[in-house]
Amino acid sequence: MPYKKPSQKFGGKIREVTIGSGLKLGGESTLPFYSFDGDTGAKPAIGMEIWDIFPESWPQSLKNIFGEYAHDPVKWAKYCIEKSNPDFICIKLEGASPEGNNKSPEECAAVVKRLADEITLPLVIAGCDSDEKNASVFTKVAEAVPDKNYVFLSAVEANYKEVGAAAGMAYGNIVSAESSVDLNLAKQLNILITQLGVKPERMVMNPGCSAVGYGFEYVVTTMDRIRLAALDQNDVTLQMPIISPVSFETWKVKESAATENDMPEWGNQEARGIAMEVATAAGVLATGSNAVILRHPRSVEVIRNFIEELTA
Amino acid sequence: MALNGMEIYKMLPKKNCKECGFPTCLAFAMKLAQGGTQAEKCPYMSDDARAKLEEATAPLMKTVKFGTGDRIYSLGGETVLFRHEKTFVNKPRFAVMFDDGMNEDEVTKKINNINSVNYTRISEEMFVEIAAFRCSTGDKQKFISLIKKVVQSCSKVIPMIITEDTEIASAAAEEFSSLGPILYGANEQNYETMVSIAKKYNLLLGVKAPDQANLYDLVQKIQNSGYRELLLDAGGRNLKTAFDDVVNMRRTALLSQDRTFGYPSVAFVCDMTKDKMMEVAMATLFVEKYASIIVLNDMDYSMALPLFALRQNIYTDPQRPMRIEQGIYRIGQADEKSPLLVTVDFALTYFIVSGEVERSKVPAWILIPDAGGYSVLTAWASGKFNAKSIAKAIKDFEVEGKLKTRELIIPGKVAVLKSDIEDELSGWKVIVGTREAAALPAFLKDYLQERAS
Amino acid sequence: MARFLTIGERIHVISPVIRKALQERDPKPIIDRAREQVEAGAHYLDVNIGPADRDGEELMPWVVKLLQQEFPNTPLCLDTANTKALEAGIKVYDRKAGKPIINSADAGSRIGMIDLAAQYDAMVIGLCAKEGIPRDNDERIQYCTEILDRAMSAGLDPENILFDPLFVVVKGMQDKQQEVLEALRQITEMGFKTTGGLSNVSNGCPKELRGLIEATFCAMAIQCGLTSAIINPCNKMLMDIIKTADVIKGRNLYCDSYLEL
Repeated sequence: MPYKKPSQKFGGKIREVTIGSGLKLGGESTLPFYSFDGDTGAKPAIGMEIWDIFPESWPQSLKNIFGEYAHDPVKWAKYCIEKSNPDFICIKLEGASPEGNNKSPEECAAVVKRLADEITLPLVIAGCDSDEKNASVFTKVAEAVPDKNYVFLSAVEANYKEVGAAAGMAYGNIVSAESSVDLNLAKQLNILITQLGVKPERMVMNPGCSAVGYGFEYVVTTMDRIRLAALDQNDVTLQMPIISPVSFETWKVKESAATENDMPEWGNQEARGIAMEVATAAGVLATGSNAVILRHPRSVEVIRNFIEELTA
Repeated sequence: MALNGMEIYKMLPKKNCKECGFPTCLAFAMKLAQGGTQAEKCPYMSDDARAKLEEATAPLMKTVKFGTGDRIYSLGGETVLFRHEKTFVNKPRFAVMFDDGMNEDEVTKKINNINSVNYTRISEEMFVEIAAFRCSTGDKQKFISLIKKVVQSCSKVIPMIITEDTEIASAAAEEFSSLGPILYGANEQNYETMVSIAKKYNLLLGVKAPDQANLYDLVQKIQNSGYRELLLDAGGRNLKTAFDDVVNMRRTALLSQDRTFGYPSVAFVCDMTKDKMMEVAMATLFVEKYASIIVLNDMDYSMALPLFALRQNIYTDPQRPMRIEQGIYRIGQADEKSPLLVTVDFALTYFIVSGEVERSKVPAWILIPDAGGYSVLTAWASGKFNAKSIAKAIKDFEVEGKLKTRELIIPGKVAVLKSDIEDELSGWKVIVGTREAAALPAFLKDYLQERAS
Repeated sequence: MARFLTIGERIHVISPVIRKALQERDPKPIIDRAREQVEAGAHYLDVNIGPADRDGEELMPWVVKLLQQEFPNTPLCLDTANTKALEAGIKVYDRKAGKPIINSADAGSRIGMIDLAAQYDAMVIGLCAKEGIPRDNDERIQYCTEILDRAMSAGLDPENILFDPLFVVVKGMQDKQQEVLEALRQITEMGFKTTGGLSNVSNGCPKELRGLIEATFCAMAIQCGLTSAIINPCNKMLMDIIKTADVIKGRNLYCDSYLEL
């Protein structure tokens, strides 16, 4: 009997969401990179992470690359674009943290406004570690950059009303719904945000991310199940593209952060940091991420090749 | 080829005699198709039908073995495409590729890397399990002496002999048969001889064809010759084709229920790129989906740390979360006066807590009692994380002898345990810590300051 | 696993309003009935035009086109014993929202409906009956087998058959209820889809009890494998129970707002 190649056709499809002025995410009706099954949608996008303050806590190797530019987010962003040509820039408003610089929402909005004026790539705007502060920061920032289709990372259970109302409705941007590896909450949050009046095509989701080795099986399983619900069960509440802030997780774990003095047998620290970032990014892309956020230019290069080869 | 219920039904006598215990032949056929009963329960089935049915009710994916002694590894035997459906059972094994055309320095470097990557992560020993040897010179002696050199220098590796030359294959198989090597290189032309070599030494046989359809035909021929210890390679040597190969071979076995592809497969990542980081990305994909042997150019710590950790995560049984060993863990240069924290033995919790303590740069101790492997609140609610289990750990791990501090920081979520623990442990003071691990760095700094003043 | 399929029963010739509207080709009462069912969450709408011996070939296409124009996302279940009317209805039917369902075939005089379903690539409800209500489950399974044999020779994939073991009225046939559930279990174990008319169960009971009886029977039947039912979707308790059962069966991912979807 001759070989009959298997094929899975699903009833559901991931919604196509446009960020910025033309970067498309999603649109696939297959599992990730299953080009043999059908339309794999838009190519997954790569963003680079920058901060509004100097990234003192980053490993030295990253500061060696960006240190010269990292005192000014606009210079930093331009350097990333020139050096690595990412699909978008993720500006993390770390300076807003009440535990740290505690910058005001107005100061944050001014930074993002400058970036919006100076660069043409789409922006993904990430907050600090306080949900409460992020609510007020995102409201001001969204107001400062209306109708830009920028992604606000993220609305969580504690602040989705404010973030959804400002970013998703009043000022024409895109809301990312974030839950931490809890697929029931991921679905619930999507519903709550759409019930506020945010249109599903103005939403993406971050169902949680971690570095490989750090409970990554929960990330994989949560994303597998979300994607199967969206495609196989045609669950429209879970058909938003997924964005994974990989670099937020991978650079703080021991494998990336331990210096060569700390762990002599582990060898080159920079290579470890890149490898952790690359593996985590490939790992989430393989289970359904439509966009990843990275720090190291080398990781951007590798993951771009990885995506190119799989979608060629 | 698996049969569905209707196909089985056609083969039955259709007497509805109920002697099989089912109300109708149709019901019996349907149950048989799902593996819920055995063909022999039907007293009136023809021998021919019975033989076909027995073939159709074997496991969809075969478990095969290679190696020797305490280094015998199982591959395959998977029953699901996604780990949440049940669990993945046999983790993929990593191989480093050697070539008999390589120069001495390259060989030495790889040997050194293989020997240096050897560590324990959450009770699992991490090391390169396989050294793959490709014979590209056609020189039998050179090939065998390379294998000999590597297996003598790297005591843990099992060799994978890669050649399509049956004479070299036979000599190498004989030479290293006691190690239980993998013999790779059966193809359309040589398979009869390769099968006889594999049979003779009882070896896992790697079968290669230029594409899935040709491999499918070749596997059928090999199965017909009676050998079923196989490892598949549908020939993909770029990422896209190789991914197509492993996914569709696995789906053919598990979804189409066609056992012709019900064997583990090998991905030659080393032939798809020369960029080390790209190898990491590709190997990540193949760990998640669905290669059983992943051959790399090399394996140093920067590759091993993410890849072994990922494999450990993906192959954790979802019903049995990973547990960290009980004990007292030292973070940074902690001394006898450093702060002491306690948390549960659920590996993920320990990793998050220890990560935050490391981030705080405050040297500290973390005590891990027997808490049943659950998260903090679950362990507390089920009575596994309480004053008794914590006091027992303090005693078992001789904390009072090792440390001068008599203060114990407990997770904020179990603040209610404070007085219980103080009753159980005389002379100790319990400090209620943070509810979330992320707040630990700030907490520890405050705690140290307060203690100093 | 697909979610539970609900087929709204309220466009039925037995209702005086509908009967009159069908006779007079008056769209409004029919569309009103359809709308309330679609809004209540029915997936399919059953359209029962009765035997329609005189004008079925003209009536069925009229009502199919009427409903599909107004509700292009709602597929239909064409319900009549009149083969010519069914064929005429299927010929104008737009499959964009889903295949038509033929209601219904049986193992007796209506077994030809299986051939019709095969010919037009439609789904079909297969009543496990020949003449009247089957005596016991041996008969039910026998008829189920006969329908399958016919489907195999006609080339109809059993996936396209919804087997109906015939739900029976609780008031009067209380002793048969467990047997019907057992039949559902047996048919499910064979790997087939099932359906049934829930109002059959509560027929003749006081109005205030009917919804409860149907909802309870439905929950019990779902556990025995029932994959769809012909129902009154305006019974909110029943719809809520079906949604909850889909969650418990794992056919829909849980979230706090699942009832609102």
